[in-house]
Amino acid sequence: MAYSDKVVDHFNNPRNMGSFKKDEEGVGTGMVGAPECGDVMKLQIKVQNDTIVDAKFKTFGCGSAIASSSLATEWLKGKKIGEAQKIKNTDIVQELNLPPVKIHCSVLAEDAIKAALADYQKKADEQPVDVK
Amino acid sequence: MAQTSCPFLLMDHDQPSTHSDPHRQLQMARSMCWHCQSEVTGEYFCERCVKVQPVSKETDYFTCLGSPRRLTLDPKKLEAKFYELSRTFHPDFYQTKSTEEQTISLSNAAVLNTAYRTLRDPIQRAEYLLALETGSVKDIRTSPPADLFEEILELQDTLEEYRASDRGSDQSHRIRVTLQTEEEALERRKEEMESQLRRLFADWDKLQDAGEVTSAARAERDRILKQMRDLLSHRTYINNIINDLAATIN
Repeated sequence: MAYSDKVVDHFNNPRNMGSFKKDEEGVGTGMVGAPECGDVMKLQIKVQNDTIVDAKFKTFGCGSAIASSSLATEWLKGKKIGEAQKIKNTDIVQELNLPPVKIHCSVLAEDAIKAALADYQKKADEQPVDVK
Repeated sequence: MAQTSCPFLLMDHDQPSTHSDPHRQLQMARSMCWHCQSEVTGEYFCERCVKVQPVSKETDYFTCLGSPRRLTLDPKKLEAKFYELSRTFHPDFYQTKSTEEQTISLSNAAVLNTAYRTLRDPIQRAEYLLALETGSVKDIRTSPPADLFEEILELQDTLEEYRASDRGSDQSHRIRVTLQTEEEALERRKEEMESQLRRLFADWDKLQDAGEVTSAARAERDRILKQMRDLLSHRTYINNIINDLAATIN
């Protein structure tokens, strides 16, 4: 099985690799893993005024998992929270041309997005920011 | 799941007995001989016409190797059964037989190999049993062991730092020592997980042997399967990071 050009590109030039401080204001962190292969993915978003201004990821796993999370951060940037919720793993599969055995990597990325959004929401609820 | 018990003993009396498509016949052969259409009661051969019968897709690996669904298996016995069946299905013995029989014996041999490879390894065996008993083990869960992930990510960061460091430097040496200590600690944790798994395997077998269908037995079964699932997936994560560590610092 060969990786698609897009997967190879994301793998060789991952976008937005890195991390934010977890306790930084407006940062939501999602950490997920796939017991199948032992891949671990961390995806973070930085939110200002309901918009994701930046996103970062760190993934330790196969090329498809790295590409899926790299693509996810690209898509997240500039999106409203509501729009980000709508990103589906099937969108990632389509964009990256993932074969059936690698679909779980895109599921992992979707889960990571959901987890990051949930974490952001939870933090926002706990510490209400002054509404001006 | 229930129909995964011995397929050759299943009796589908309602199945139509004649079919022109040979593939259909092969699929149905789990209850009836593909050749003489009589009911198959033997393990792998029709008792009436003595033709080899295909292993059904629904046959689980335990059944395939004539083993109960247990987690502590005698490797010697398993191996002996594997060799016996390997001989039974060996292509050499089918050279003069019909094309159907050659095809069946070859695909049986392939299934047998996979079955043996899976059951031979205690971890793979347990993962396989979990999949049989509960559906897929390999579901991705969004409620991961957060501490473990945190730890793994931190270690991966240190590992990257080490890769980027100048190998002769003091700093590089210091990181390497830290990573070695971590690796040893992880190895110990892995061993501890494996001994916990062995205890669960024993619990499982005890439950199977007792064969009770009380609600207490049901609860015990669920406990064992859940704990096993968690341990197996944690072990995979730990194993991965250990491999990464070993590949980099050793």
